[in-house]
Amino acid sequence: MLKPILLVEDDKRDLELTLIALERSQLANEVVIQRDGAEALDYLKREGEHAGRTEGNPAVILLDLKLPKVNGLEVLEAVRADPALRSVPVVMLTSSQEEADVLKSYQLGVNAYVVKPVAFDRFVSAIADLGVFWAVLNEPPPGSLKALRHNEQP
Amino acid sequence: MADHAPLPAAIADPAPTPDLLSSCHVEPIRVPGAVQPHGRLLVLDAATRRPVARSENWPPDAVPAAVRALDAFPWPELPPGAAPSALGVWTLDGARWDVSGHRTERHLLLEFEPAQPTEGNEAPIYSLTRVFLPCLQDAESVQALTQLVAAEMKRLTGFGRCLVYRFDEAGHGEVLAEAIDAGYDSYAGHHFPAGDIPQQARALYVLNQFRLIADANYIPVPLRIEDGALSAADIDLSQAQLRSVSPIHLEYMRNMGTLASMSVSIVIDGKLWGLISCHDHAPRFIGMSTRLACEHLGQLLALQIRSKEANRLVAERLALRQLTLQIVAHLADSDATLQRLVLEPSLMLRVARATGAAVVRDDAVWSVGDVPSDADVQGLAQWIAGLGQEVYHSDTLARHYAPAASLPFTAAGVLAVSISQVHRHLILWFRPEIVKTVTWAGNPRKNAIAEDGRIHPRKSFEGWQERIRGSAEAWSDAEIGAVGELRQALIGIVLRRAEELAEVAHELTRVNKELEAFSYTVSHDLRAPMRHIAGYVDLVVDSEGKALSPRALRYMTNVKDAASFAGQLVDALLDFSRMGRAALKQRAVDTQLLVGDLVRELSRQEPPGRQVEWVLDAHYPAIHADPLLLQVAARNLLGNALKYSRGRDPARIAVRAVSTEAGDGLEVEDNGVGFQMQYVGKLFGVFQRLHQAEEFEGTGIGLANVKRIVERHGGTVWAAGEPGVGARFGFVLPRREDLPDPNPTDTLPPPPHGTL
Repeated sequence: MLKPILLVEDDKRDLELTLIALERSQLANEVVIQRDGAEALDYLKREGEHAGRTEGNPAVILLDLKLPKVNGLEVLEAVRADPALRSVPVVMLTSSQEEADVLKSYQLGVNAYVVKPVAFDRFVSAIADLGVFWAVLNEPPPGSLKALRHNEQP
Repeated sequence: MADHAPLPAAIADPAPTPDLLSSCHVEPIRVPGAVQPHGRLLVLDAATRRPVARSENWPPDAVPAAVRALDAFPWPELPPGAAPSALGVWTLDGARWDVSGHRTERHLLLEFEPAQPTEGNEAPIYSLTRVFLPCLQDAESVQALTQLVAAEMKRLTGFGRCLVYRFDEAGHGEVLAEAIDAGYDSYAGHHFPAGDIPQQARALYVLNQFRLIADANYIPVPLRIEDGALSAADIDLSQAQLRSVSPIHLEYMRNMGTLASMSVSIVIDGKLWGLISCHDHAPRFIGMSTRLACEHLGQLLALQIRSKEANRLVAERLALRQLTLQIVAHLADSDATLQRLVLEPSLMLRVARATGAAVVRDDAVWSVGDVPSDADVQGLAQWIAGLGQEVYHSDTLARHYAPAASLPFTAAGVLAVSISQVHRHLILWFRPEIVKTVTWAGNPRKNAIAEDGRIHPRKSFEGWQERIRGSAEAWSDAEIGAVGELRQALIGIVLRRAEELAEVAHELTRVNKELEAFSYTVSHDLRAPMRHIAGYVDLVVDSEGKALSPRALRYMTNVKDAASFAGQLVDALLDFSRMGRAALKQRAVDTQLLVGDLVRELSRQEPPGRQVEWVLDAHYPAIHADPLLLQVAARNLLGNALKYSRGRDPARIAVRAVSTEAGDGLEVEDNGVGFQMQYVGKLFGVFQRLHQAEEFEGTGIGLANVKRIVERHGGTVWAAGEPGVGARFGFVLPRREDLPDPNPTDTLPPPPHGTL
């Protein structure tokens, strides 16, 4: 069974558009949706509401930068700090191309940083590329050295 | 050789006769080994009270009687070094003697003078207290005080001439007041050169404040030393009233026609302020009680002068402090730059009673009143700054700083304060030369050298006038103090301004942070709705396109384009804001490579078949700039040239190296659509476009970016154009040596080629 894709997005329109884009990319992976950073971390760590979920990390985390409660950078930091999660690929999806955000994301060990294009067709192709690369082609055995090395040298 | 002098005592001009002069300073005036004949001296060993020496004028049988009297005498406490104490009237061999005694380290000295009739309540000291003291307190000035004292001294002593004179800083004496009988020359207003009284004699005047020479024709009475272990040089007569004086001094007195002289020192705060000096044509003896009154008179005068001068100083200081406060108040109200000081010329000059003043701040000079040229002021300021003093003053500047010799009318005297030790920030006050005419009592440089080679004191004391040049009125302690206070206050203000500036900088940082936060929000929140609009329109077209009419489809396309364009505008605006905020990382940039790369890159992006003729120079300059920003600027200019020459076949684009006084740069000229020069001012504005959007795509922010980049480097941009003919855009950035170095620690060599 394919691992799910975790999509963390608070804006309902972005959420819908992203889901449509993922749908069009014809990925078979299940998409798990979380609407803020705190919930996403609960899901990943199987805590709180998600304490009872089936074990297993997502194939990739698509993470919005601006999120309520715990923002994207903080989620990224927490993921990289957790030995059980640190090898999960994280892709930052954001409206911002602020240099400081890009820099900070890479410092925290993001695997890719994508500025959402305004034009929808480009948005769809960007999401499709990401999904194929991270969820299908690049599926790493959890905790493998190879993945670890890759994560540390994005 | 010279003794102490109530008037010119010896040799004035040290320069031509150094060897002879030196003897003057070593003459044993404290241990002359002789006394004046109007009294007798007996010297006892301080420990054993046995006689060790006596003056030769004791009759041989009188000494044992005196010693017997001593044995019975109840000695008062005589501390070593104190002035002689009156020990009462003793009767020896039927004669009555006024006896006084004092102690040196080793000896007791007893002086015997024939007793004067007692005066009881009529003693001079009582009249002094009763009558004279109240008059003294009414005197309004030092001048008036001294006049009263001269008259009183004459009345007390009966001398034919009484002078009061004062020594200036250099030691020259000036006669302030005199009282004379008919037949005596007047010395009022005369000056006596400092050399008239050698240093050691001055020291003795401070120690022993009364001195009488009763008869200049006296034959000194030598001391007979009765202790074989002693010599005359061991008997210190510093405090003795009978001490014999230098024969040269006696000759001097006789030259003056003075046979008796008396002096009382005016000592203020341990310094010899002046002398009361009396002369008579005939020998004159002063009894013990009168002598006491004279000494008191001298002390009264000293006290009065001290309080008068203290009062005057306080009043002057108060007045000057008022002025200082006013200056500081004016300055504190302004932006506190030092040059503001000259905007209050009257205050500025009055605070130091100067005729000119200047503020120097590094290479700039601001002045008021009569001052030397800016260059001269700078030269002087540099010299003073080099002295490293907080406050510098001189009333004879040319003697210390030779270039001032040519500035007598403006800067014979200068008073200056240094505000900063790091920078050359000074305030200077100037005074002009005052040519003083000094009346010397006789030509001080004309002492006679007789055939025997001895120096004889000058014989003429007729007034001799001299013009003194090269000096300004002296700066008073109060004036020097006032500018010192002004300096402190200014430093205070400067420091406060620095703190305020730091606050402003802090505030600016805060505002900048806010701006950053704002643009961050804009970049996230403004872009998202654009994306949503574009996204949903696409979805509608994709899923429902077939159901839509061609017109509805066109509308939808317009909506999508508009949203995309709005997105581009937001991106452009953010770029522009980033351009202004990003730190400049300047280094030498090889524009040869830059131009070459850009031409290749932009040519590749042009549609195939388009003819573009590039006209490039053989060499382009290295420009000191932030490489990324410089590339953005150059790309914009080249890109614009390509865009606006789109309709030309062939398009002709020239990229030239520019080098002007203001710096180095590039200029790009095309043969495109050009523009009307009347709109040239609008070209560099944000979102300013001179063409319709359908004609030429773009956000209208490119040239605004160019301008912002160039101006952040301290450079200039220009544009020229003609509709239908073409346009020319260029910029220059300052060369590195012209720039105040923003990062003095950044001494990295220029990076190798191709870093862009």
